[in-house]
Amino acid sequence: MKAIRVQHTGGPEVMELVEVPTPQPKPGEVLVKVAVAGVNSIDGQFRDGRLRTPLPFIPGQEGAGVVTALGEHVKSVKVGDRVAWSGTLGSYAEYVAASADSLVPIPDAISDQQAAAAMVHGLTAHYLVNDAHKLKAGETALVHAAAGGVGLLLVQMARAIGARVIGTASSDEKAKLAREAGADEVIVFTRQDFESEVKRLTGGKGVEVVYDGVGNATFEKNLNVMRLRGMLVLYGMSSGPVPPVDPAKLSEKGSLYMARTTLAHFTATREELLARTSALFAMIADDTLKLRIAKTYSLSEAAESHRDMEARKIAGKLLVIP
Amino acid sequence: MKAIQVKQTGGPEAMELVDLPVPEPTANEAVVKLSASGVNFIDVYHREGRYKVSLPFTPGQEGAGVVTAVGADVKSVKVGDRVAWSHLLGSYAEYEAVQAHRLVPIPDGVTDQQAAAAMLQGMTAHYLVHDTYPLKRGETTLVHAAAGGVGALLVQMAHDIGARVIATVSTEEKAKIARDAGADQVILYTQSDFEAETKRLTDGQGVDVVYDSVGKTTFEKGLNVIRPRGMMALFGGSSGAVPPFDPITLTQKGSLFLTRPSLGNYIATREELVARSSAVFGMMASGKLKVRIGHTYPLAEAQRAHRELEGRMTTGKLLLIP
Repeated sequence: MKAIRVQHTGGPEVMELVEVPTPQPKPGEVLVKVAVAGVNSIDGQFRDGRLRTPLPFIPGQEGAGVVTALGEHVKSVKVGDRVAWSGTLGSYAEYVAASADSLVPIPDAISDQQAAAAMVHGLTAHYLVNDAHKLKAGETALVHAAAGGVGLLLVQMARAIGARVIGTASSDEKAKLAREAGADEVIVFTRQDFESEVKRLTGGKGVEVVYDGVGNATFEKNLNVMRLRGMLVLYGMSSGPVPPVDPAKLSEKGSLYMARTTLAHFTATREELLARTSALFAMIADDTLKLRIAKTYSLSEAAESHRDMEARKIAGKLLVIP
Repeated sequence: MKAIQVKQTGGPEAMELVDLPVPEPTANEAVVKLSASGVNFIDVYHREGRYKVSLPFTPGQEGAGVVTAVGADVKSVKVGDRVAWSHLLGSYAEYEAVQAHRLVPIPDGVTDQQAAAAMLQGMTAHYLVHDTYPLKRGETTLVHAAAGGVGALLVQMAHDIGARVIATVSTEEKAKIARDAGADQVILYTQSDFEAETKRLTDGQGVDVVYDSVGKTTFEKGLNVIRPRGMMALFGGSSGAVPPFDPITLTQKGSLFLTRPSLGNYIATREELVARSSAVFGMMASGKLKVRIGHTYPLAEAQRAHRELEGRMTTGKLLLIP
């Protein structure tokens, strides 16, 4: 089968289109013909070695497709089922072998592109507003990178809950997208200091929660914009990892809470995975959640998708179509 | 009046018994003749300079007594009222001028000594199990220093809620105190590794929340015994402050939540202060909460009180009696 392979870590150019044997599903696994693969920043982190995995490997954590073969002991899916997944390495390929437990059914109302576009970012946004900090109507949330993959979905979900959303973005164009998604205010942080703006917008009190996938660049100021006993949820590190944190700071800044989360812990059981994806797909089907698919690439153009992702000029989901 | 004064930070000897004028209340203050002053670890941190206070100062954050004078604008208390307070420096003295809105009434059924013994530690235990991590029936908690001031109250409250309490202590004598307070299992950390024991006691699942006042020597291992998405409530540092740590540790250990709360942020409004103190005094009056007064010392023996507290020789609350 055709696949993208990384032999050694590095920039987008290390992703090569190769011909490799189609994987064989092991017991408990299933072979899926990939219809669409989602591109995520975590793919870049594996590709450049910030996250470790044995070499060589096929990147890509997310996708949608059709089950074509079953390994032994598989009962939860059958050949022909339309399924989606997140957290299974190897999606930038024509076929991927995935554990049956990690596959979720795609309802008829959702297309393959929508499913692949929604899994990682959508499930992330869902756990953030429901479980990392259960957002309530009337609360104010600060959403960084509000026009980003997770950001746009976070803004929509927070809005649907009835929370007030303050977003940050790097350009007027992205600010416009975030506003269209429902953000009440958007701070263009390249022009304004988000700390003083958030303080101004909240009458000095601060927000109940900060949802931050940016990491290093925003951390210090995040601590200054939260109200007493507010929550900082760090779910990513697009600007680099947050350096060591002195717990005393959390106390000084108002007995704050912090979490550094990852999707896997919020979809740890099949039960939770199915519940979350059902909720997510329902929101997409009834248009509460609008997905922004920015661009599609063929498998041979996968490297370009990473260049585009890292340039951060395109707002919206990037998809690879094998 | 007689009072303790610290002119330069240092060991217990930094506390001198001096003669000072009896304070006059400003418009918003009341002067209280102290019946008892509570001794707390935070007094040690102030005395040794770990937490900064401008010099010279009178230590002591907790007291109870009778109002002897009120300022012109004071309406919430009158001369003769029995009152208690915490979180305001200056209680190692015969009299203290206190902002009236920080004074809470002591109900019948609670003595002045009991009130002084319970304010800081009782309200701390209360906010930890009701607000920081609202403990629920059936959950499991790990409580360090379970025979200590806050520890023993935490154990009682957690037990009363119906949670399972795993306690750590240093001696058999303290183990008995923890058990009497309601701990389900007690680990002598001087003999066993609390991490291994807690894992064993929870079948490897971990606890829902760790209440940790010890800090440096327990923090990292504590993170290892929390179930995914559970919480580390770090509310003190009797073994030393926890040094800066890499937030990614929280992800690796299960997307854990961390907070470093302090009492002041949980009694920030008079409303909350009165509610919390009433709740604590109510539990004491009804016999649900037993506050152990370990030892009382005359004001002149404040140095000895600190030596014994720091030497971990004491169990139960220490009081200074002017």
